Amino acid sequence: MRLHYFLSETTSGYMRNQLNVVKRTGWLVGRNRSPLVDITQFAVFAAGLIWLSVHGAQSMGYVWQWYRVSQYLYRIVDDELVWGPLVKGFQVTIEISILSLLFTIVIGLVIAIFRMSNSLAARLLARVYLEVIRNSPLLVQLYLFYFVLAPILDVDRYWIGIFCLSFFEGAYASEIFRAGFLSVNRGQWETGASLGLSRYHTYRYVVLPQAVPLMLPPLTGLSVSLIKNSSIVSVIAIFELTAEGQNIIADTFMSFEIWLTVAAMYLMITVSLSLLVNIFEARMRKRSKR
Amino acid sequence: MKPTAGNLDRWKIGWLDIIVTCAVLGALFYLTYRAVGVLRYDWNWGEIPQYFFRYDEVEGKWVANLLVQGFLTTARLAIWAAILASIIGLAMGLCRVSNILFLRLVSRAYVELVRNLPPLVFIFIFYFFISSQLTPLLGLDDFARNASPTSLKIINILFSEPKLFSNYMAGLFCLALFEGAYFAEIIRAGIQSVPKEQWEAGESMGLTRLQVLRYVVVPQAFRNIVPPLAVQFITLIKDSAIVSLISIQELTFLAMEIAISTTRFFELLITLAILYFVICYSCALIFNRLEKRMARAHQ
Repeated sequence: MRLHYFLSETTSGYMRNQLNVVKRTGWLVGRNRSPLVDITQFAVFAAGLIWLSVHGAQSMGYVWQWYRVSQYLYRIVDDELVWGPLVKGFQVTIEISILSLLFTIVIGLVIAIFRMSNSLAARLLARVYLEVIRNSPLLVQLYLFYFVLAPILDVDRYWIGIFCLSFFEGAYASEIFRAGFLSVNRGQWETGASLGLSRYHTYRYVVLPQAVPLMLPPLTGLSVSLIKNSSIVSVIAIFELTAEGQNIIADTFMSFEIWLTVAAMYLMITVSLSLLVNIFEARMRKRSKR
Repeated sequence: MKPTAGNLDRWKIGWLDIIVTCAVLGALFYLTYRAVGVLRYDWNWGEIPQYFFRYDEVEGKWVANLLVQGFLTTARLAIWAAILASIIGLAMGLCRVSNILFLRLVSRAYVELVRNLPPLVFIFIFYFFISSQLTPLLGLDDFARNASPTSLKIINILFSEPKLFSNYMAGLFCLALFEGAYFAEIIRAGIQSVPKEQWEAGESMGLTRLQVLRYVVVPQAFRNIVPPLAVQFITLIKDSAIVSLISIQELTFLAMEIAISTTRFFELLITLAILYFVICYSCALIFNRLEKRMARAHQ
């Protein structure tokens, strides 16, 4: 009941906000018509696009075989549910993303602390790390990790993939942490100190409770980006969702069906996380208005 | 930074300095030990320069080799993709701030779809789609095959080798469609950053909404759009590495080709990373300088 109330509150607040934005900046003359008309128009447009691509593929000699897809998701063997390769790959994707998220948070925190510290060496290290990560493609980093670092350190590909992802996202996480900490006013530290709190206690009871809500939406955004980027480790033959999809396509040549299924599976999780970010942000906007 | 009373303590050597220095040196030492002592990798950096330029003995002059060719392809790819993505981004960005719900729905669907899909999956889907449907539809293959010698030369300079033309275009469309969503968001944010009083003032002067957009809003939004667009251009250069996976012969693809055929993975991949770093970092420095100049001009 409460949850329902909360959801409808935030979404309507969000819609209202969107409407205000549009009223403020709309450029085409607004026509007074029901939104249903536009939604129908959009549905027809989308259906037309889908029809065009389906028809186009058929006329190029592509045979749609959607009925063959379900066996790669699940099968019923002796009345028992057996997950297919796509679902297993999906599990690996989630596993990799969660493990990398943990490492990402550790790396991000360390680099953020280094950047704000008054030690020259630490700041230099953080700076070099950030510039290197920001100015080279993830794919090249992955190749470096896999072909150069992995044989040198003798680590298997699964962990090298996770480390590479965490290293890449760590740079962005450190920005989030830094912004979160810096957004808490200096006066808060001083107030804490003047109340007789120790540095740790000020941190624990004054600074963190203010910084964490600020960091939550961008950190959720970061996990979306992590899930998205985890698809790149398929290149070094870690069998997550994308790699499983490629495998099946190599066997069956159903490129469109499998890729669309894979895309839908990714969208399921990334879109719901993105919606979560929207709700977080709407909630914060409301709180700051109060 | 000059050491003044305020930041004097920033130049003192503290315990963190010592720990960090020791950790970095230790890590470097360990890596060298593993590479030289345990793996016994025989480094051969002397081979690398010939992949940039090689001496053609038949013609008796220096010619660009694979790495330079790859670099040129990456550069052309990035520039064309940026132009195409700007067009897509402008159209979609304007739709996102339109008053018509239909246009907002279309652009929102496009942006959310691209931003929530893994780049790899997006590029694979659209590569199959474009190469199996759009390329025959546009007749790119025939165009490249039947073009006159002069237009072949133009294609060679502006895009890529004629026999790879349709492949190159497919990669280009994929990249542009992908980056277009990010460009659209930047343009939308720029337009929305102009206060609503500007719209009202424009309208009260009797301008139509399109005129307000053209003469009042866009010139002001432009200042907020250009810096993030420049950053996005660097991201585009980085993302262009992904199209190597659909066999577009750009820098990453060719470097990996050489690495695989010579098994000199260590040297080539380090060279490749350095190359990308130099490209992206110099772009960042140039854009920073331009941004400062722009800010000064507006003061």
